[in-house]
Amino acid sequence: MALQPVTHPAGGLSVPAVGARHTKVRGRVVTRRRLVDLTAAAILSCLAFVGIFPYLYMLETALKSNSQFNSNEATPTWPLHFSNFVTAWGDVAPYLLASVIVAACTMIGCLALGSITGFVLARYHFPGRNLFFGLIALLLMVPNIASLIPLFVLMRDLHLLNTYPDLIIPQLTTQTVFAVVLMKTYIEQLPNELFDAAHIDGASSARTYWSITLPLARPIIGTVALFSVISVWSEYFWPELTIVTNSLRTVPVGVQFFQGELTTAYGPLFAGYIIASVPLLVLFVVLAKNFLAGIQGGLAVDR
Amino acid sequence: MITAPATKSSSGTLYSGPARPVRRRRRRIPWGVYIALVPTLGLLGFFSYYPDINGLVHSLTNWEPGFSSPFVGLANYRAMWHDSLWWQSFGHIGIIFLVAITAMWAIPLGAAELVITLSNPRWRFIFRALLIAPLAFSPVIQVLTWEFIYDPNVGVLNHFLGSIGLSGLEKNWLGDPNTALFALIFINFPWVASLPFLIFGAGLQNIPQEIFDAAAIDGAGRFRRFLVIDLPLLMRQIKLLFFLAIVFVLQYGFAAYITTQGGPNNATTVPVLRMLGVAFDADEWGYAAALSTTLLVIMIVMSGLTLLVGRRRTLREAR
Repeated sequence: MALQPVTHPAGGLSVPAVGARHTKVRGRVVTRRRLVDLTAAAILSCLAFVGIFPYLYMLETALKSNSQFNSNEATPTWPLHFSNFVTAWGDVAPYLLASVIVAACTMIGCLALGSITGFVLARYHFPGRNLFFGLIALLLMVPNIASLIPLFVLMRDLHLLNTYPDLIIPQLTTQTVFAVVLMKTYIEQLPNELFDAAHIDGASSARTYWSITLPLARPIIGTVALFSVISVWSEYFWPELTIVTNSLRTVPVGVQFFQGELTTAYGPLFAGYIIASVPLLVLFVVLAKNFLAGIQGGLAVDR
Repeated sequence: MITAPATKSSSGTLYSGPARPVRRRRRRIPWGVYIALVPTLGLLGFFSYYPDINGLVHSLTNWEPGFSSPFVGLANYRAMWHDSLWWQSFGHIGIIFLVAITAMWAIPLGAAELVITLSNPRWRFIFRALLIAPLAFSPVIQVLTWEFIYDPNVGVLNHFLGSIGLSGLEKNWLGDPNTALFALIFINFPWVASLPFLIFGAGLQNIPQEIFDAAAIDGAGRFRRFLVIDLPLLMRQIKLLFFLAIVFVLQYGFAAYITTQGGPNNATTVPVLRMLGVAFDADEWGYAAALSTTLLVIMIVMSGLTLLVGRRRTLREAR
């Protein structure tokens, strides 16, 4: 229920009514409508431009050599220096690799744990069910930063600082909590008839989970996967404070470190930022609907 | 005896017919489910609950990780009470909060209103996508890009001021104690690629078109409709965003950590930076645990209130 309102794009359904109303009263009203549209579009274009400008500027600078940047900072200059991307690739590739490894492990882990736990909590009745869900959902209210100090001490005692598990475990706990809440809410809304039919046909619990629940939960799986990647591409303090090996740095701390190395070579620096952003940009374009569903679902804990 | 939690949580769906309670009474406890829950509960218990509780316990000690930690009672919390830098940092997030619930709402709300004012659904879609596009960049890259804009020597902002003849206003934006905090706040201006825009947008989209049509027939202008219809119907979103803004400012920190390190002259210190400084620079882990626990408790209370706001709306809808 909480997931569906935002998922249909642009709310196009309601539009014909307005159009119909205005075409009836011709002339004055139609031009007024156009004027309103043009004004709104003009203001929105300005807002969108100011918002996107820094990134356009980043792209423009990424294609300049240092002398082009020094002589003419504001406008694009020719020739375009695509070689900056080649220079930056060598520096940024290890961060991308580390981030992809961490994101992939997080994604697989939280999808497995989240779907099994969500399935069990949504489809079985047993003592402690609400308590367990409450304990998991409570963690949704604890941002990572509030646990950083004691978690650092725990990881230190386990001798896990500066390793892959150190990067993966905090991501996994956060994303599992998110996945359980989304999965449970979603699986609860699937029609009971499906599960009754499977039960009558003699399907085991494992079979019901694998052959019925998982295929139906595909939209949520997309959402959880996207948020795992967003989370790895956003988490700054934890890798900054626990990682010292360069090849273990994820994108957020990697690009900052890289910035310190290349203080005056702006072209390769911005090219590096762009390369580091590409995986997230691509996922955003592909999974935009899942992003909105995730925002809505994450806020709607157990409505 | 198994109670009926499922009836409560799934009462909104069509399918929880009257047949269920009868069947449930006969059902035995499916012990297998506990085994299925062990991995998740084990992971969260050991890596989420244990550290948080451990931090709470050690906030009452002079924590020296790896060594014995003598119990000191509430001394760390008393020290916090007299820590002027800690309270100064709350003053800074207070200022950030005031901007977060005014300008950082007004512009996204205006943008969301303008988007639904457009009559062509394709244009609505395009503008919505363009406005949230910056969200697809890693927050660290957003901050680093803005740091470059503020750069005193090669930054776009100073260049721009110089080129329109206002070079007297050029500044070291992040390096001047008078402007550093506001420079941080203005990162990602006009703040449209943000949660408020998404939430206001979804809220406006969910208002039935009939209501707008009725208002138009009654002769309400666009601005009057905004005041009399849109705003009251968005009240729940506003309440939700209010608490989210509190949690947001309490977590605020990485942008300041990257660009100013809390400086110059502590002008941009925030609670998170103070906490990390106490732990990693001053090596006072017991005190850091007290600060961390304080933040944790405030955040849980605020999130609980957010949930209550959401819950009340569900009740009203059910009636």
